[in-house]
Amino acid sequence: MLIKIQIIIGLLSIVFLLITFELIRKNRLREEYAILWLFTGIAIFIFSLWPKFFLSQFFIRITGLYYLSAVVMIAFVFLLLIVFHFSVVISRLTEQNKDLTQRHAMLELEFNEFKKRYLSTGDRSS
Amino acid sequence: MKVVEEVQVRFPPAEVLVVNDGSADLTSEKAKACGVMVLDLPFNLGIGGAMQAGYKYAYEKGYDIVVQVDGDGQHDPKEIPKLLESLKEKQVDMVIGSRFITHSAYKISIMRRLGSYILSGVISCLIKQKITDPTAGFRAANRKAIRLFAFYYPQDYPEPEVLVLLSKSGLKIAEVLVKMKQRYSGESSITKIRSIYYMVKVLLAIFVDCFKKAPLLE
Repeated sequence: MLIKIQIIIGLLSIVFLLITFELIRKNRLREEYAILWLFTGIAIFIFSLWPKFFLSQFFIRITGLYYLSAVVMIAFVFLLLIVFHFSVVISRLTEQNKDLTQRHAMLELEFNEFKKRYLSTGDRSS
Repeated sequence: MKVVEEVQVRFPPAEVLVVNDGSADLTSEKAKACGVMVLDLPFNLGIGGAMQAGYKYAYEKGYDIVVQVDGDGQHDPKEIPKLLESLKEKQVDMVIGSRFITHSAYKISIMRRLGSYILSGVISCLIKQKITDPTAGFRAANRKAIRLFAFYYPQDYPEPEVLVLLSKSGLKIAEVLVKMKQRYSGESSITKIRSIYYMVKVLLAIFVDCFKKAPLLE
């Protein structure tokens, strides 16, 4: 029973790691997130190699949870934290985006006014 | 751009700034043809972001008073002096041009009147001051309020939320009765069925605002 899950999770983590590597290589993933996902992938891979050790020694000691469902629980909390973190990041980006847009519009207006004034004085002197 | 021309005719000392919130129609060109300043946002920021852009501009340019007029023509520029007067006389930081401070003949649907009633009740309670028309967008703000808005401006439902922001920052608000006109163009952003949804969201937003840290301006 456990061996089946082991193989599936092991294969998944390898695919996941390959995708992560590929995205880093193509510069589509920032370092801060790349490191996070690399470690996540490696952690899942190691878990698939020795699940019994993790389940029976490691997690019980830390959390007191038995069974495989404990892993699901921990994975869920992990994902929840990441999604929450992303919400914070998106909020910050939206705010910065708004400020940039407003600044852009203000500079553009100022530039146009300046250009108008410059052109009109230029006409007079010539 | 009837609104722009009307402001220029009715209140000549005003310098008009039109904020174009990313619309690609001829708004910006038409306004420029009237000889007013146009703040062109490269894409749509929503009402809060657009308003704040105007206030930021006014703050940086050192304007002392900003009068905020909606672009759909329901605010009568003839009433601008009234707003400015009460801003001075009542020694407040922002004046709202209210539709219902007394029983005026302004026609609106029962749903909207009920919604407005609830909203004004809640806001009046929160800021401990009677506000009859918290959603009115016809407002005058002095330098102090402009400065606050340049740094903090609510994004989702700015009209009612600004009131909470002002009172938290210790700035004063007053209302004057103004006559409203029928809109030239554009539908209200609040339709009948959506008004309940709008109400709930506004109340939630205001509720959240109450727990926000009061902005610090030295």
